[in-house]
Amino acid sequence: MEFVRNHILTITLFTPLAGAVVVMLLNKERIDAIRWVANIFAFAGFLVSLPLVFWFQSAQPGFQFTEEAMWIPSIGARYSLGIDGISLLLVMLTTVLGSISILSSWTAIQDRVKEYYVFFLVLQTGMLGVFMSLDFFLFYVFWEVMLVPMYFLIGIWVGPNKLYAAIKFFLFTLFGSVLMLLGILVLYFSYHTQFGAYTFDIRQLISLNLPLNTQIWVFLAFFVGFAIKVPMFPFHTWLPDAHVEAPTAGSVILAGVLLKMGTYGFVRFSLPLLPGASADSRIVKFMVALSLIAIIYGALVSLMQKDWKKLVAYSSVSHLGFCTLGLFALTPNGIAGSVIQQINHGISTGALFLIVGIVYERRHTREISEYGGLSNVMPVFATIFMIITMSSIGVPALNGFIGEFTILQGTFEVNKVWAGLATIGIVLGAAYMLWLYQRTMFGPITNPKNEKLADLNWRELATLVPLVIWAFWIGLYPKPYFRVLEQPVAQIVQRVRPGYYAKRAVPVPAQPVVVPAQAQVTTEK
Amino acid sequence: MPGNVPITHYLFLSTALFTLGVIGVLARRNIVIILMSIELILNAVNINLVAFSRHLASVSGQAFAVFIIADAAAEAAVGLGIIIAMFRNRGTIQADELDLLKW
Amino acid sequence: MSYGAQILRLLPEAILTVFGVAIMLADPLVRRKRALGYLAVGGLVVALLGTVLMVQQGWWGPAFSGHILNDPFAVFFRVLFLLIGLLVVCSSFDYLETNAIHHGEYYALVLFSIVGQGLMAASVELVMIFIGLEISSIATYILAGFRTRDVKSSEAALKYFLLGSFATAFLLYGIALIFGATGTTHLAEIRAALRAGPMGPMAAVAAALMFVGFGFKVSAAPFQVWTPDVYEGSPSPVAGFMSAGPKAAAFAVFLRVYLTALQPVEGWFWLLWVSALLSMCIGNFGALVQTNIKRMLAYSSIAHAGYVLVAFAARSELGVAAVLFYMAAYAAMNLGAFIVVTHFGGEGERHVSIDDYTGLGHRQPALAAVLTIFLLSLIGIPLTGGFFGKFYIFQAALKAKLIGLTILGVLNSAVASYYYLRVIVVMYMREPAPTSPPAARVPGAISFVLSVAAIAVLYLGIFPGDVLQFATRSAAFFR
Repeated sequence: MEFVRNHILTITLFTPLAGAVVVMLLNKERIDAIRWVANIFAFAGFLVSLPLVFWFQSAQPGFQFTEEAMWIPSIGARYSLGIDGISLLLVMLTTVLGSISILSSWTAIQDRVKEYYVFFLVLQTGMLGVFMSLDFFLFYVFWEVMLVPMYFLIGIWVGPNKLYAAIKFFLFTLFGSVLMLLGILVLYFSYHTQFGAYTFDIRQLISLNLPLNTQIWVFLAFFVGFAIKVPMFPFHTWLPDAHVEAPTAGSVILAGVLLKMGTYGFVRFSLPLLPGASADSRIVKFMVALSLIAIIYGALVSLMQKDWKKLVAYSSVSHLGFCTLGLFALTPNGIAGSVIQQINHGISTGALFLIVGIVYERRHTREISEYGGLSNVMPVFATIFMIITMSSIGVPALNGFIGEFTILQGTFEVNKVWAGLATIGIVLGAAYMLWLYQRTMFGPITNPKNEKLADLNWRELATLVPLVIWAFWIGLYPKPYFRVLEQPVAQIVQRVRPGYYAKRAVPVPAQPVVVPAQAQVTTEK
Repeated sequence: MPGNVPITHYLFLSTALFTLGVIGVLARRNIVIILMSIELILNAVNINLVAFSRHLASVSGQAFAVFIIADAAAEAAVGLGIIIAMFRNRGTIQADELDLLKW
Repeated sequence: MSYGAQILRLLPEAILTVFGVAIMLADPLVRRKRALGYLAVGGLVVALLGTVLMVQQGWWGPAFSGHILNDPFAVFFRVLFLLIGLLVVCSSFDYLETNAIHHGEYYALVLFSIVGQGLMAASVELVMIFIGLEISSIATYILAGFRTRDVKSSEAALKYFLLGSFATAFLLYGIALIFGATGTTHLAEIRAALRAGPMGPMAAVAAALMFVGFGFKVSAAPFQVWTPDVYEGSPSPVAGFMSAGPKAAAFAVFLRVYLTALQPVEGWFWLLWVSALLSMCIGNFGALVQTNIKRMLAYSSIAHAGYVLVAFAARSELGVAAVLFYMAAYAAMNLGAFIVVTHFGGEGERHVSIDDYTGLGHRQPALAAVLTIFLLSLIGIPLTGGFFGKFYIFQAALKAKLIGLTILGVLNSAVASYYYLRVIVVMYMREPAPTSPPAARVPGAISFVLSVAAIAVLYLGIFPGDVLQFATRSAAFFR
């Protein structure tokens, strides 16, 4: 047990990879065996990550479950893992969504099954590595390696335009990450100049004291890398293309986890390592402006979509605008809300992509106009879709509300206009989601092809129900989430705005100031 | 000094030969003439080396020139062999007719 | 020092020469030419063992009145050349048989070319460098035209020969001038003389002329025009060989000459800077539009020369170490890619269009997978040697404050991913067309070398520590 406790992160990290190796060894004709093995390993990946939740000490500052080993001595790169509250949530999101999306591909993927699962499991390891790395170099390696399986997932399965989308995805992210690498190197050399040692360890790099000018250049280099991944406004164009072409499970993982890596990058690296630049008013205005544009633009474009999946894809742009807005409000509420919203987006958008996938598998079209009145034939489906819609638009008692509200609160603290503009996004969000729901679910069945559609089977239910439960959990009892975020968020704010807590006499870091009324009484779990 | 010829004269001669050689390589179309132009450059180098050798009273320049002469012979042998192979395949030794591979 | 003790400093070259001559002599007597290939493999292995022995016994230091210097730098490159030679020879067996050009001298020429390269790496004197360069080049000229009945191959050999000897002539003219300026051909003495006296314009002209010569040999822009033609026309294993061995050797002397002898002549830094940038841009943008995979790899090799020049331009120990590491990584990945091309080309190299690779992922998953590894490494994806190579290069450049060049370099490497990905796309994401060439069985020798190259690429990517340490030690003497 001691061994497991000391190496829990490594175990969690490499379980999917082990699955990939096992799948690789199987004969490619034995499709069922491959499916079972992949699902078992994905689920095992979730199970081994569960102890993290129980062993995690929310009150303890700094990173936990840390593991250290030398990797490349000559450049000072280390294999060092560790998580804090922020990474804990994202790791859990990854293992949950990973096993769900692998389960959801059971019938959707029919050709080249073996390669599909291999790539998927490798991708899973890559994403977990990104969230666990404490060494900037290791982080970069995971960040880049992940591109390859994702590229194949988009490129090989589904979609008439897949080549274009896959290459666009790859090129965009590669451009971003090479510039990021230069930024990393600047930090690396500056650390050597100041402290006489070469290291990529972010716990050490944090003690760097860089002139503002350098910080801004490095910030911009990181910005390109992270913003492309998020994606923030001018860089978002790869996202809809990639989503439309990716298989359902790929979309779930792409939206649910991959995009979070961009925001995670900001919160883990940009803010603490470059506090001067992050708090610089030009940078803040720039980031907030891009976020607000993303919120409103994403919502407006969603309103106009005729393609169901594209609509969900553009809604991601809008939702992630909220996440970056919260981050660059630079208040405890803003940052905590942003992290929670990242999880929420993973849950609700992941579920929405599953929903699109389910109807797509039945009808092989994603045109919204092809559907209508589905609630008549698929009542269970319609109910779940309703709950997820509510979660996505931020109705109280569901998760979306908690995230958006906390972000708005944190933003309002610094600038009322920003908060006001962001509210427009919420209104538009309600509009496009409800309109989508109305067009597809309500009314009589207009298209005869929809008359015989089957409702959800047990496997589809198994993929959606956990997400619904999770949505309610966060919506009704978000306290544990805020508790694990308290320490890391306070540290970041302390770093970016050293005077923040001093100004307020009582240091109350990251409290959920408003919890929905029911939360106090109904404790779901 | 050999007679009273100063070193600059040799350098001028060598530069002239070098320039002629370069022009020959760039302007002529017959591959054998191009090959001869390259030999011209090598001889310009030899003149330089020998003149410097004499001027600096160091024998290594002359030794180098001997090596270059030997190398030029080897190169010419290989070069002519390649030209013959080319002629067998294409029936031409005009440089501008070597157009199978885009230049 | 006795003559024998001096020869020991050139032990690998001596061994290879003996084996090369033996192959030539045995050629008329042996009917089964593959045996000569095995003899060449034996020679390379013995030479490798000889190198190991040389290191173990500590046969370091100068020899032959200081013309030869056996230092870690020389050993690093010789080991690299010998390994390249092994891969090339093993991948040529089946190629020569399918193309019915199985002659003994092929192997002898490969060995002689490696002798020349080894001499180049170990020489610290311009005459020796020139001789090494010519031994290597002349052998390679012949190899380029080895498919004697194929007009493309002859044309490639002719172009390579003409432009190559033209460039060598420039190099020689530069050497003559530097001799005139300093009165010596020893690199260290040249440096001392240049530092001591007032530097006339002659040294600068010499540096520029020699730059033309070396620039040609490493296929750096603007002296790169020959590369695509020659790679396309040469037999595929030879093209792979040229992109790895002679190129690395040229870089070795390029580094030695410019960082020691011509180090006091500052002006060449800007030549290097411009050439690095041009090579990256011309190589990458040229490769974008190619349809022939050999031409594509040729342009990519120009671009990779550009990356190496970036590290060179750093003019630091770290930069030299980065060049060494990169040459090793590049040899593994590029040679690997060329071996796949060699095998896949078939008789008469008919299948060298990128479209011929359509659906290879379905038909020959293993072959497609290793090619993918090589291509990903050429892009510079982590966990492959190519990534670490690029990483060290840009690290060195950034440390030397070459910020502009570094940014242009990384952007270039992102552009480059497009044309490598295109090959991956046709292999995996398109269904095989009925016109696709039939899947040929991969012979044992080819699968052996492919796995060696793939393992090397991954090893350099995951555990680069050892090789990097070796490279750093080898670079140390530039201090």
